Amino acid sequence: MKEKNFINIFKAFFKIGIILLGGGYVIVPIMKDELLLKRNWLSEDEIFDFYCVSQCLPGIIAINMSILTGYKLLKFKGVIASVIGIGLSPFVSIIILAHLLSKIAGIPFIESIFWGVNLSVIILIYLTLKDIWKKSIVDIFSVFWFIFILICSIYNVNAVILILASIVLGITASAKKEKTNE
Amino acid sequence: MNSAYFLLFLEYFKIGLFTFGGGYASLPFLYELIDRYHWFSHEQLTQMIAISGLTPGPIGLNMATFCGYETIGFDGAIISTIALLLPMIIITSQVFRLYKKFSENKIIKSILYFLRPTSCALICAVGIKLFWTMVMKNSFNLSMFDYKAIFVIIILFIATFKLPRNPIYYMLIASIFGVAFYFIA
Repeated sequence: MKEKNFINIFKAFFKIGIILLGGGYVIVPIMKDELLLKRNWLSEDEIFDFYCVSQCLPGIIAINMSILTGYKLLKFKGVIASVIGIGLSPFVSIIILAHLLSKIAGIPFIESIFWGVNLSVIILIYLTLKDIWKKSIVDIFSVFWFIFILICSIYNVNAVILILASIVLGITASAKKEKTNE
Repeated sequence: MNSAYFLLFLEYFKIGLFTFGGGYASLPFLYELIDRYHWFSHEQLTQMIAISGLTPGPIGLNMATFCGYETIGFDGAIISTIALLLPMIIITSQVFRLYKKFSENKIIKSILYFLRPTSCALICAVGIKLFWTMVMKNSFNLSMFDYKAIFVIIILFIATFKLPRNPIYYMLIASIFGVAFYFIA
């Protein structure tokens, strides 16, 4: 096991940031490889728990998993090391590509690649939905709620308002349940 | 100028705080930014989504960095990236201490009961809108449809039965078709 200091945590996550191609879905196998097999910093159970909790938290799953791991290893310092580690190489790559974008955008060959990738986003959205559907749509009410929000969203109702409404309803419903149980 | 920085920070902080369900869940917010502030065009966002997906790193983070850069350059990229990360750093490190209890908590469970279908619907709406503009060309007229796009979508859909879950495969297949159509035409 490698010593859990700032530099080592940074290095581990820097590497994860470089090989993480495809976002949240591939973070679990990568973390298993880098943090369990190579460094023995986390247990298999912890990785799974972190994944489940990260899905419930706001933000990006891979980043939330890094924060949980960093905090476990070295408290707040670990959080900073892991977040900067995982974010650094994507940040630099995006800056370079963003700089190039103005030069390559409009070239028909490049545009044909963008066209393809953006079509694939439709399928990736479908796959994302397939992943979260079973856990999200659990009864008749959640079907109606889904349809209601879908219609609102298609008619451009602000997403923040819809999310806040869901949180408020959730808190209210839970408070009501408590009352009826008493 | 400072107010532009502040507005950028505020918007991406909001995205970090209200995105549930992975990188593509931040898309509805990014589309809203176009309508509200005109920081970048629809076309630019399309390009940014494509490049962010093909670049290593979490897609949601890549898109935020990119959008920040397109809005006010390098400073914008720093601001949007930090603003996006900040809510996660604050909330998630607090949650760590109670993470076992967190997923068992009744209030959290009840919130997630409402929030999960909401995220599904928000992501689904983006998918429908993309389908509407890219495949149906904003009309119900069959002769307007982009049949090349329909062909690629069907191929990708069939591929979902065979291929692993990693998005990069789908992006690569679709871009190969894109390039192939370009050379045929």
